[in-house]
Amino acid sequence: MFQNNREGLFLALPAAVFTGLLFLLPVGFLLAEAFKVEGSWSLQGYIDFALKPLNQTVFLRTLKLGFFVALLSAIIGYLCAFCIINLNDKSRGRVFGLVILPLMISPVARTYAWIVILGRTGIVNDALIGMGLLDTPIRILFTETAVFIGLLQLFLPLMIISLVSAMENLPKDVIAAARVLGANWFQVFTKVILPLTKDGLVMGGTLVFTGCLTAYITPAILGGSKVLMLETLLYQRVNVANDFISAGIIATILIVMSFSANQLLKRIASARQ
Amino acid sequence: MNSKLASRSIIVITLLFLIGPFGIIILAGLSAGDFMTFPPDGISLKWYAKVFEVKSFRASFALSMFLAIGGTIAALLLGIPAAYAISRYKIPFAETIKTIVAAPIIVPGIIVGLALLRYLVVPLNFTVTIALFLAHTALVLPYAVRVVSSSLNNLRSDMEEAAVLLGCSRVGAFIRVVLPNIRSGVLAAFILGFVTSFNQVPVSLFLSGPGVRTLPIDMLSYMEMTYDPSVAALSALLAFLSVAIVFIAEKFLGFSRYV
Repeated sequence: MFQNNREGLFLALPAAVFTGLLFLLPVGFLLAEAFKVEGSWSLQGYIDFALKPLNQTVFLRTLKLGFFVALLSAIIGYLCAFCIINLNDKSRGRVFGLVILPLMISPVARTYAWIVILGRTGIVNDALIGMGLLDTPIRILFTETAVFIGLLQLFLPLMIISLVSAMENLPKDVIAAARVLGANWFQVFTKVILPLTKDGLVMGGTLVFTGCLTAYITPAILGGSKVLMLETLLYQRVNVANDFISAGIIATILIVMSFSANQLLKRIASARQ
Repeated sequence: MNSKLASRSIIVITLLFLIGPFGIIILAGLSAGDFMTFPPDGISLKWYAKVFEVKSFRASFALSMFLAIGGTIAALLLGIPAAYAISRYKIPFAETIKTIVAAPIIVPGIIVGLALLRYLVVPLNFTVTIALFLAHTALVLPYAVRVVSSSLNNLRSDMEEAAVLLGCSRVGAFIRVVLPNIRSGVLAAFILGFVTSFNQVPVSLFLSGPGVRTLPIDMLSYMEMTYDPSVAALSALLAFLSVAIVFIAEKFLGFSRYV
C-alpha cells in the first residue's frame, strides 16, 4: 500500500470523471427533464403518466412477466442445480459450460430463433397441425406467452448458475441426514435446502427479475407493439411522439428498480462474508 | 437407477430449451428456399454466402468491431490505472469513485443512448459515432476495473515495493513488474469487454444515423423488412464467433475465473 494519496487520486480520477461527465450527467439531465412541465418544475408529468391506462398496463405487465419468469426459473433452477451437483466433476464442468454458453451469444440471435419456432409457419404450429390437433395455425408470436418463453430462455442460465454455486456450498450429508430422520422430499426442500440456499435464490431471482424489467430485444421481437414492456414503451414514446417526459419517467422507474435490486444483492453478498 | 435417469432427463430437457434454438437457426440458415422455414427446403450455403454480400451488414460489422475493440481498449486505458489506484493506494472518496465507475452496469442501456443523443449529439454537435464510442467505453469500464482489480488483489504488492526500493521508478515498476503479472487478467477483461460491447443493443437504439448502425441494430431492422434466412445465417455465424472466442479464452486463460 503506497501512502501518496494524491498520486492515487490522479490515477483514479480520469475513469471517474469520464463516467461522471459523459455518462451520469446526461442521464441525470434526462431524469430531471421529467419533472419539468412547460418550463416549470412540477410533478404533473408523473401524475399524467400514472393515470394513462396504457402505462398502467405496461407497468403491471412488466412486473408480472419479471415475477413469473423469476418464479419459473427458480423452480427449473432448483431441479437442475440439484441434478448438476450430483454429477461427477467432469460432466458437471461440461453441463455448466453448456448452461453458460448462451450468455455469450448475441441476444438478437438468441431471440430470433423463437420466430422460427413460434411463428405462424413455425415448428410448433406445423407440429400441431401435422398431428391433427389444429386446423389453422394459432397466434403465438406477439403474445405474452412468446415474450415469456423468450425471457425465460434468456435469463434461466443466471438462475441456474446462482443456485448451483449455492448448492455446492451445501454440506452433502444434510440432505441424507434429513432423509434418514424421516423427512419426505417436500420437507427436505422447505426445511433444509431452501433456508441454506436462500442467498443464491435471492441473487438469481434479482438478476432474472431486473434482467426482465430492462429487457428490450425480447419484447421488441417477440411482442411487437401488441405486448409492450417498459423499455419498448419508452422507445415508442420517443420515436412516435417525441415524448421525453414519459421517457424520463420510465427511465427513473427502471433505474430505481435496478438500483434497489443491486443494493439488495450487495447486502446479501456482504452478509455472507 | 430410476432417479439417475430422471436427473439426466431434467438436465437434457433444460439444455435442449437453452441451446436447441441455436441448432434450429443454424439449420434454418442452411435453407435453399427463399423464406425462413424449418425443416429447411433443401440444403444450400447461399444464405451464409449472402451475409457477406449485404453492404449494410459489412458496414455495420465494421462499426461494431471498431466499437468493441476501440471502446474496450479505451476502457482498459482508463480502467487499469483506476483499478491500480483502488487496490494499492488509500485514496480519498474511494467509495464514491467506485460507485461512479460501476454506475453504467445499473443504468439501462436504452436510457444511456437517449441521454447521450439529447445532451451530447444534438446540442454539442458530437457525431453519432463518437457518442457510440463514448457510451461503449463507459459500459465496458466497470468490467475492466472489476476484472483488473481482482487480478491485482491476487498479486502481492511487496514485489513492486521491492522494485521501487531497488531504484526502479514507480512507473517503471508498474510496467516491468506489475503489468507482466496481471497480463492474463487484462486479456480476460479485454475479451469480456469485447463480447459485452459487440452484443450490446439498447445503447445503440437511439444512437444510430444514416449509415451509422451497429450490427445488432442492423439485424433488427433487416428482420423487420425481410423474412429471408440470411439473418438466421448471420445469427449462427455470430454465435460461432462468440463461442469460439470464449472457448479459446477459457482454454488458455481459465476465463471463467474472472467473470
